[in-house]
Amino acid sequence: MAFVALEGVGKVFRGRTGTWEAVRDFSLTLEEGEFFCLLGTSGCGKTTVLNMLAGFEAPTSGRILLDGKPVTTPGADRGVVFQGHDSLYDWLTALDNIGFGLRLRGTPKAERRATAERFLHMVGLTGQGAKHPSELSGGMKQRIQIARALANDPRILLMDEPFGALDAMTRAVLQGELSRIWAETRKTVLFITHDIEEAVALATRVGVMKRGPGGTLKAVVPVDLPFPRDRTSDGFMRAFREVHALIHEEIHGGH
Amino acid sequence: MVATSRAATVAGYLAGFALLFLIWHLASVFLVRSVLFPSPWPVFERAFVLIEDRILQEQIVASMRRILQGFLLGSAIGVPIGLAIGSFRPVRLLLEPWTEFFRFIPAVAMITVAVIWFGIGEESKVFLIAYTTIFVVIISTAAGVGAVGRDKIRAAQCLGASRMQIFALVALPATVPYILTGMRVAMANAFVTIVAAELVASNDGLGKMLWDARLFMQVEDIFVALISLGLLGFLTDRIFRLLIRAFAGRFNPTM
Ligand SMILES: Nc1ncnc2c1ncn2[C@@H]1O[C@H](COP(=O)(O)OP(=O)(O)O)[C@@H](O)[C@H]1O
Ligand SMILES: [Mg+2]
Repeated sequence: MAFVALEGVGKVFRGRTGTWEAVRDFSLTLEEGEFFCLLGTSGCGKTTVLNMLAGFEAPTSGRILLDGKPVTTPGADRGVVFQGHDSLYDWLTALDNIGFGLRLRGTPKAERRATAERFLHMVGLTGQGAKHPSELSGGMKQRIQIARALANDPRILLMDEPFGALDAMTRAVLQGELSRIWAETRKTVLFITHDIEEAVALATRVGVMKRGPGGTLKAVVPVDLPFPRDRTSDGFMRAFREVHALIHEEIHGGH
Repeated sequence: MVATSRAATVAGYLAGFALLFLIWHLASVFLVRSVLFPSPWPVFERAFVLIEDRILQEQIVASMRRILQGFLLGSAIGVPIGLAIGSFRPVRLLLEPWTEFFRFIPAVAMITVAVIWFGIGEESKVFLIAYTTIFVVIISTAAGVGAVGRDKIRAAQCLGASRMQIFALVALPATVPYILTGMRVAMANAFVTIVAAELVASNDGLGKMLWDARLFMQVEDIFVALISLGLLGFLTDRIFRLLIRAFAGRFNPTM
């Protein structure tokens, strides 16, 4: 049995301006411990897929299973890192943001603090735990989001273009850190991006989506390269070209 | 740095007030030469007399006590109702017509019924202040709940929060700046209302002082009462601004 299974999932939005088929017949299985990057052009339905797996939105067709059980609502087994950093709690310190999930479960204060400190350290922000989100840079906020999700020990981490709003240099640093954290924790990750290099640098498999309407999985490219990845290696270039060719058709070809 | 800018603020305010009194003085000497428009000095002298006889303090205490009682009562009723309206759709559908109806009936228009119901004792004034406070507080509290970022709530959901926890640990703290802002506006309204109420129906207070001074043509007394109102309002508003700045920055950096 697959760890995560999306079986013929579809999503049709119905609004005042009519209906929009965002996702059509999307099927994918994820194995425990893999880092899957979902790559696609803007508007192809990536966020919609993630939102359905997170339980924020219900599919209009097909079904989503986690350990064989249908996903219907959001739950602590699926941690989410959002694209923007509006999801952080401005009135809590960085440390209390990271420990928020533990607080919800009534974990004793001392243990909560120790765990939060550990994950603060893991995302490279040791000593900055007393700051509030308004005192942190964009990159630091995304680190806090990642730490908050991980501290809650979810079965899978869902990340929606978490580095999309960051400058190129910060993005590269955070990609490296995320890769290291994934190697340490071996947490299953579904990572959404529209950046080919980012996908090839992070993923064990890259799924390329067809553009919408009716966005769906077009191809899955395994990336069998060792970590940490050398972006100038031949293997990296080859994988990059393969993925690039697939996405290129979506940008320029057809319609 | 902070100390110098605060000193600059205080110096600016003092200079502003000094300028106001200077213009007043010049106007009374050169523009409106009339016993009906006294210059600042007789007014200050009169103020000292009223303070020495403890008359001014009594009026101020009488008015401020009513304002505080009504304001606290109105806030204590308004905040929970606003939270309920903002959080639960049925409550909103049920109560929104009430707030939308009553907020167009100003407290000043309610003075007559207040006197009929409660007489000219304390109750009628406290009722009127509470009345003027409630609707402003309800509306801004409900708006605050509605403005809680979607990702903040979703993040809590996938950290395992129950509905109660989302309300208490996310919606409520995120709404605090809106509640304080609503209370600040309500406090300004309370000053308007208390004067009108005391003009019509009271044995003491600054409004009553204004009314009596008019009857006996004590123009200086009128000015003393007006200045007292302005200063008291200014001071209370300052206190609210400090509170909002102390809390809002932490609770919501956009405010
Ligand atoms: N709530 C919604 N109502 C209507 N249309 C939506 C809604 N959410 C997304 N869409 C549409 O569905 C498509 C896919 O959106 P999204 O999943 O956000 O794309 P991506 O994340 O790949 O950029 C877009 O065309 C978008 O306009
Ligand atoms: Mg998206």
